[in-house]
Amino acid sequence: MKSVIKNFKISAMALSTGSITKSYIEDGLARDIPRAKLERMSKTIGLNIRKTVTNNITTLDLCEDASRRLLKSQDVDIASLDAIIFVTQTPDFSQPNNASLLHGRLGLNEDVMAYDISVGCSGWVYGLHQAAMLCAHSGLGRVLLCAGDTLSQLTHPQDQSIDPIFGDAGSATLVERSGDGKDVYFMFGTVGGMSSAIKVPAGGAREPFSLKTKNETKDEFGNINTPENLQMNGADVFNFTLREVPQAIRSVMALANYPISEVDALVLHQANKFVVQTIAQNTGFDLKNVPNTVFEKYGNQSSASIPCVLIDSLGSQLSNKPMKVVACGYGVGLSWAAFAGEIGPIALCPVQPYPRP
Amino acid sequence: MIKQTESLVRLQKDVDCFLSATLDTPLATLPQWDSLAVLLVISHYEANYKIQLNSRQIHECKTVRDLLNLIPTQ
Repeated sequence: MKSVIKNFKISAMALSTGSITKSYIEDGLARDIPRAKLERMSKTIGLNIRKTVTNNITTLDLCEDASRRLLKSQDVDIASLDAIIFVTQTPDFSQPNNASLLHGRLGLNEDVMAYDISVGCSGWVYGLHQAAMLCAHSGLGRVLLCAGDTLSQLTHPQDQSIDPIFGDAGSATLVERSGDGKDVYFMFGTVGGMSSAIKVPAGGAREPFSLKTKNETKDEFGNINTPENLQMNGADVFNFTLREVPQAIRSVMALANYPISEVDALVLHQANKFVVQTIAQNTGFDLKNVPNTVFEKYGNQSSASIPCVLIDSLGSQLSNKPMKVVACGYGVGLSWAAFAGEIGPIALCPVQPYPRP
Repeated sequence: MIKQTESLVRLQKDVDCFLSATLDTPLATLPQWDSLAVLLVISHYEANYKIQLNSRQIHECKTVRDLLNLIPTQ
């Protein structure tokens, strides 16, 4: 699906992470995993530090903190907000949605539209597209886009294939109607036939939690999980990524008529260091134009990872000048979402943990 | 047509767990045959042969030779 939207801009962004710092090597040694094995994984995949939440903190809390910091830093009158879009797969409840809960917490006007989008690692681009459409075509002035997840709370601690990967984060992005008229190009793709490659089998209407869903199983590599945990077939997800994502990036660049030489940065969902590096190589980008440090500093932050790259890796440039950016999120669905456009300057609040010490 | 021994040498350069392997080595006996090794194999096949392997194909392989049989003959 292709879409071209103009007359909107990203004005400000903020991101809050969990407050617990976990070290892959230290945690692995505590589990009696040999140091050589840990260092091999760390070197190749980029497993290092990740930030996770304490048990009582949710995605809603992280996004509320990011939103409050953003609104305060820009002195935004909350009465000027027209909509909240909340992208998450780890909502507080199945009902009501997180957007309504955040609406209540922030004390917004009753004529504000508030809805969730259930997408994971490709979600921020989905949310940006929705916010841009509302601003450009529905006459809304300001949309608050929140995106994040706390996937560390869904993994089984003895599933070493995915438990060490995920960090928790919530982002806030202020999208506004603008008259600058520059086109931003979006493309989306879904491979629903591979949906079981990333899945939490239990807890929904199809298979509610029960004694049966607490049964542990062990895979061929000794990893343990239950149907209540996040499960990922890494080989099939990587297969999807190699097949779909480089082509998606080339397609959105062709749609935008962007040659590689004109792109300031390729911003990728930070699945892990190896995957980002592989996509960069397959698309012909110089690695210096593909930020790839967020995973090592924070872990895989699901739909908050692209905002984290924009703030943490590109912030010094993006806060001062416009940049031609190509971005692509990819993951659960399986789905991908890409955009190409000139964004910035953006007012950026630094990445901070929540709660703060 | 590339011989399987040449393909194994290529594989050994990219995926360290195959360094001491022969064509008949069972994959399950390789000390570092784990989820990372699987990713590296998929990456190697994509980069060298433009083949995107899936988990089913890899899981059906019992030996190194089975894995190399996934490379199409010219």
